[in-house]
Amino acid sequence: MKNWSNRLTGPSPESRCEAHGRWITRLALVVIAALVLSIIGFLLCRGSRLFLTGEGTLSAFLLGTNWDPGHQAFGAAPMIVTSLFVTLLAGLLALPLALAVALATTEILPRGAKRFLQPGIELLVGIPSVVYGLVGLTILVPLTRKLLGGTGFGLLTGAGVLFLMVMPTMTSMAIDALEAVPNQLRRASAGLGATRWQTIHRVVLPTARGGILTALIFGMARAFGEALAVQMVIGNAAVMPHGLGSSAATLTSVLTTGMGNTIMNTPENDALWSLALVLLLMSFLFNLATRLVSRKKG
Amino acid sequence: MTQSPAITVNQVAVAYDSKPVVSDVSLAFPAKQITALIGASGSGKSTLLRCLNRMNDGVATVSGEITFHGVNINAPQVNVYRVRQQIGMVFQQPTPFPLSIYENVIYGLRLRGVKDRSLLDQRVEESLKQAALWEEVKDLLKASAQALSGGQQQRLCIARTLATRPEIILLDEPTSALDPLSTNQIEATLSQLKKDYTIIIVTHNMQQASRISDWTAYFEQGKLVEFNQTAQLFINPKEERTANYLSGKFG
Amino acid sequence: MKKIELQNRLATILILSLAALAALIAGGLVGYLLASGLPHVSWQFLTGSTKSFASGGGIFDQLFNSFYLVVLTLLVAVPLALLAAIYLSEYAKQGPVTTGLRLAIEVLSSLPSIVIGLFGYLIFVLQWRLDFSLLAGAMALTILNLPLLTRACEDALRQVPQLQRQAGLGLGMPKWRVTTKLVLPAALPGIITGAVLSAGRIFGEAAALIYTAGQSTIAVDYANWNPFAPTSFLNPLRPAETLAVHIWKVNTEGLVPDAAAVSSGAAAVLIITILIFNLAARGLGKLLARWLSR
Repeated sequence: MKNWSNRLTGPSPESRCEAHGRWITRLALVVIAALVLSIIGFLLCRGSRLFLTGEGTLSAFLLGTNWDPGHQAFGAAPMIVTSLFVTLLAGLLALPLALAVALATTEILPRGAKRFLQPGIELLVGIPSVVYGLVGLTILVPLTRKLLGGTGFGLLTGAGVLFLMVMPTMTSMAIDALEAVPNQLRRASAGLGATRWQTIHRVVLPTARGGILTALIFGMARAFGEALAVQMVIGNAAVMPHGLGSSAATLTSVLTTGMGNTIMNTPENDALWSLALVLLLMSFLFNLATRLVSRKKG
Repeated sequence: MTQSPAITVNQVAVAYDSKPVVSDVSLAFPAKQITALIGASGSGKSTLLRCLNRMNDGVATVSGEITFHGVNINAPQVNVYRVRQQIGMVFQQPTPFPLSIYENVIYGLRLRGVKDRSLLDQRVEESLKQAALWEEVKDLLKASAQALSGGQQQRLCIARTLATRPEIILLDEPTSALDPLSTNQIEATLSQLKKDYTIIIVTHNMQQASRISDWTAYFEQGKLVEFNQTAQLFINPKEERTANYLSGKFG
Repeated sequence: MKKIELQNRLATILILSLAALAALIAGGLVGYLLASGLPHVSWQFLTGSTKSFASGGGIFDQLFNSFYLVVLTLLVAVPLALLAAIYLSEYAKQGPVTTGLRLAIEVLSSLPSIVIGLFGYLIFVLQWRLDFSLLAGAMALTILNLPLLTRACEDALRQVPQLQRQAGLGLGMPKWRVTTKLVLPAALPGIITGAVLSAGRIFGEAAALIYTAGQSTIAVDYANWNPFAPTSFLNPLRPAETLAVHIWKVNTEGLVPDAAAVSSGAAAVLIITILIFNLAARGLGKLLARWLSR
């Protein structure tokens, strides 16, 4: 009796192994939690320094149009507007094309076409953003120069580079969204005598709307956060843009060029961290938007 | 009656997320006999079986006492790995690991650090013989277990459980995924095994229960309705609900 | 009736021509990159070292740095992602901890890479005094790739049939051992595919690196295998400019006269490497799966 009680209770190599495993996986948890919290914490802390030290005010930062941190001018509105504008333009340019490719592969072209296209799309998704920047520099800049005059660097070129960069990702996500539409719906619609276009725009697109919106938001989030590709072609003038051809600067491009040239804890440097904080908050907003859109679908 | 019971459950209740699926079951399983648990699906028979070697841990809350060699193995301080080594389990679907037949059989021993080659060889032969698989596979012990037929795979899983020398073997509808011929072979194997092992089998096949078991417990809606020697229960059920189920008015 | 059919035909033509336009743009892009870059890719280009002010420089150092950074990053990121994935697929119960972890990973995945780079600069480079170094770069890239890798590992683990886990537990194996001995080997093909795909992403990343791994390369000794020696090519504490950063650097602040040639050649090399990574991810996964199910 005593013997059995000993055998069936108490630790064994197995229970020690299990405790060990639990401990290790919890460790990963702690590391990730610490990482995320410290990223948010440090950016909040750094990003709010400008306002806490009294060097700048929040309203002047958000609404001011004069950015010259060396001379106590911390108006970030030009960058915020530029970032939003190029993102929106890129997203709206890319959406029809991405959707057209997705519709063509899932609804119109024969099944085999997808197998042919998929690796191509994957390759394009994988092309690094600096390469897109390089393409912008060697093709889009001369093209814009011819089209709009001026230097060729500017808003339109920036949006063009972002458009090229996000289109493959959006296409791939749009294909997934359309493929998630059950085939019975298509057959039912066709069975009622609907043409292909009627089926697409009355059944397929409404059903896949959530997924397509997610693709758009995801693409725009990527465009908003992209730094180097834009920085290479946008001209980097931190002023309010006045036309498609005018040089401008995004939040990311100012961060890219400025961070290395300022000294920690100076107001100039703090202002840059405030820009980074705006970037962080915007990425949360995009994330939230994706959640809302995909929830509505279900 | 025979000797003292191998395992006893006393007032056991099981709930998934506070939704009760088994309530107030008390039952003593006779040693070295085959006990069948029957009942419609959802009657709680499989859930009760899984309590016997703590497979419900982390899935459902189990209350009550389950006594094995005088120890309440449902107590939190009990070492579940030791319990499962004493009380093995064979599942509905054959689950060979992606290894050779030989490695599959000794899997449990290897984990316990047994390295003695001759002991391992001997266990493989014994276990495969007990599971009535030895003649079919003795020349392909190094071959992949996944190349075997479904029935052979299930007997391999029985051999794998036997190799760790448990006292009790729990089987959860072990033949429901198999063809009639393989089912016959498994049933024959089980009848052989009861010389040395206590066997508890869940089945929804009443003929199977009547063919192979010595004792039968009938469950309905999470409650034990009747427990008796199989012959008694099938020929002369004491409860009307049992009689209804057996005559097909239910399930 | 006529009108509806006309509408159908017009819409089909519109969709197909837009799709053709997209394909033309994409095809032209890749074609242009390869056509303008490949002529500059020579053995000398791949094995030579960079020249600061003169033309004819190669990209060997950058190419090596990129590969070394991939290895360093995966060394840190794969174990961490795998453990998180094991927690999520094997251990996690519904509750605030699991929800919190998923939220944290999602937050990470939505961070722009420049933000991660700046965080790395602040913490690893300045606070921890690692300076611009491969190690700081690898840690920043770990953060960047953690969400993708964790997702890939979790998907791979979840593909393993539940029955295998039950069988292991029924034999009295601890869950941790069921995970490491039964589930992990079966999930390996998927994990490898995920790791190689992230390798491609690491290879092309630049924004997270300019303020962590740095934008310059010191002269290193490729014969010195001691990773602690300051001039060793294996020293993880040396600054290292990768190929992607090099392309950016040459085009924005470069002083080399043949910037266009160097960067288009480097871009071609980058694209081909990533293509190889993509193909390898698929091929390796399949090969391994076949080998495991022998």
